[in-house]
Amino acid sequence: MEDLRIPIGFFFALLGLILIAVSFFMPTAHAPLTTVNINLYSGLTMLIFGGAMLWLARRRP
Amino acid sequence: MTLAPVDYVILALYFVFVLGIGWFVKRRVTTSEDFLTSGRSVPVWITSLAFIAANLGAQEVIGMCASGAKYGIMTAHFYWIGAIPAMLFVGVFMMPFYYGSRARSVPEYLKLRFDEKTRGLNAITFAVMTLFSSGISMYALGLLFQLVLGWSFTASVILSAAIVLVYTFLGGLTSAIYNEVLQFFLIVLGFSPLAILAVAKAGGWHGLQTRLAPVMTHSWKYLGSPSQNPMGVTVFGIFAGLGFVLSFGYWCTDFLVIQRALAADSMSAARRTPLIACFPKMIMPFIVILPGVAAIALMHMGTGYTLPLKPEGGYNYDLALTTLMAQFYPAGLLGVGLTALMASFMSGMAGNVTAFNTVFTFDIYQSYIRRHAPDKHYLWVGRMTTIVGIALSIATAYLARHFNDIMDFLQLVFAFVNAPLFATFLLGMFWKRATGHGAFFGLFSGLVAGGLTLGLTEAEGKGGWLGVHHVFPSSMAQNFWIAIAAFSTTFILTILISFATKPKTEPELHNLVYGFTDIKHDENVPWYKRPAPLAVIVIVCLVALNFLFA
Repeated sequence: MEDLRIPIGFFFALLGLILIAVSFFMPTAHAPLTTVNINLYSGLTMLIFGGAMLWLARRRP
Repeated sequence: MTLAPVDYVILALYFVFVLGIGWFVKRRVTTSEDFLTSGRSVPVWITSLAFIAANLGAQEVIGMCASGAKYGIMTAHFYWIGAIPAMLFVGVFMMPFYYGSRARSVPEYLKLRFDEKTRGLNAITFAVMTLFSSGISMYALGLLFQLVLGWSFTASVILSAAIVLVYTFLGGLTSAIYNEVLQFFLIVLGFSPLAILAVAKAGGWHGLQTRLAPVMTHSWKYLGSPSQNPMGVTVFGIFAGLGFVLSFGYWCTDFLVIQRALAADSMSAARRTPLIACFPKMIMPFIVILPGVAAIALMHMGTGYTLPLKPEGGYNYDLALTTLMAQFYPAGLLGVGLTALMASFMSGMAGNVTAFNTVFTFDIYQSYIRRHAPDKHYLWVGRMTTIVGIALSIATAYLARHFNDIMDFLQLVFAFVNAPLFATFLLGMFWKRATGHGAFFGLFSGLVAGGLTLGLTEAEGKGGWLGVHHVFPSSMAQNFWIAIAAFSTTFILTILISFATKPKTEPELHNLVYGFTDIKHDENVPWYKRPAPLAVIVIVCLVALNFLFA
């Protein structure tokens, strides 16, 4: 059985990196109703989640 | 709403991974059972998440957010009184018979337990229902993306259908299940920021309570009489209609979800699948319902946010989710949000297509068209059915576009179609005396009774084409009562006819009925791997949630 944690891990790590990059290149871009830099926080969450999935897959093959 | 280049990059990245998973899984598929039932080899954490993800279609996400805006936190009953108790029941009590019978599908169980005609009735209604559901879901997707992003209806329908086709054609059920798990995480991670931002902007839970009418933030307090709450229901309607009949009907008999549990690698894993799934399911209301509730508070706050109006007047609640996304998500996360929306459409569609495949190939083709062909032939039929199923879904999507009334009608029918089936299963699994004739005629009469109730009553202008004898305050109340009527008819008639007809013998019913089945109790496994302790933890959490938001 292929380990599903690997593709999920890579997907969310990449997605997280993209969002973090967006938050650095366009720090002033935010939506009408909020000033929170939500790209950065969501990006970090996804990067951590993706990393955790990859770590679990490595630890217990 | 306009998308930035980065949003398209995210959407494309998702498509690459979805197709990649299909390609990755393809190598494992060598027999028809690999393709249509995953060869009973999927780990339990994957089947659990797929169990709820298959149901987490876009109608669920958009519809729950819309109901949150329309009815308030009362919508959570769909989870806390509806889905969870039913999921506990199917895991603890019904899975031993489903999994133990080695049936490959729900209709096949009916064939083993009762007879050929009961299987045929269920297989054909189910096949028709999944095709239409998949088509209606595609139609909703096309309409939404046209409205929100200005994409062409045909382009969004064809694009999403093509992607679902490729990955289900390659890897069959395993591929669909694996992608459902990816979709599940994307939906959770993509929509939770919206719930957090919208509720925070409205002043947190306390802010919602002070800004909204009290009925919006209480789930039980206003259920004394139908006139007190916007759903027009009472405690009895919620418990019997939604909680008992509708939810048990769906979660305990619908092959779309049962199929995920049957793919698990052992009996113990199959029983734990719905139980583990209860935990994420319990917290879904915070992700899908709360933003809708917050939307109404934001409208009262003078933030400039307002729900769009329908052409015929009144708020268009179905747009609550997407309009909130436009208000709170910047480029980047907006791409994630829309990708999550696309993902939820695709998981709903793929769930329907894979369930249709199995039922068509095993219960219709192998049973009535060509019986003893080599396995390679059925694998080929399964793959071709994927193509045909998706083509028919696309056709249905266009049908829905041109004949809105027919689709409205079908959705009303699908809402109660599982209710009588639950009576059949309840008697079939727990009463040895129930017979094939009883099951068939009971089930058939239940469907007719449901249809008649729909024809004789009216709610929000729907139903009542046989003359209006009763008017319900909301279509939800109508739906609950139709389900109760259909269930009771099947339950009573099946018992009466069973007493008049000859039952099956004990050896024929081995592993199919309570009393003739050895249910293995896992003595040597740790407590967290046993169904009963898991179920107790779920019940404790459930009671706590109901009290917190009473």
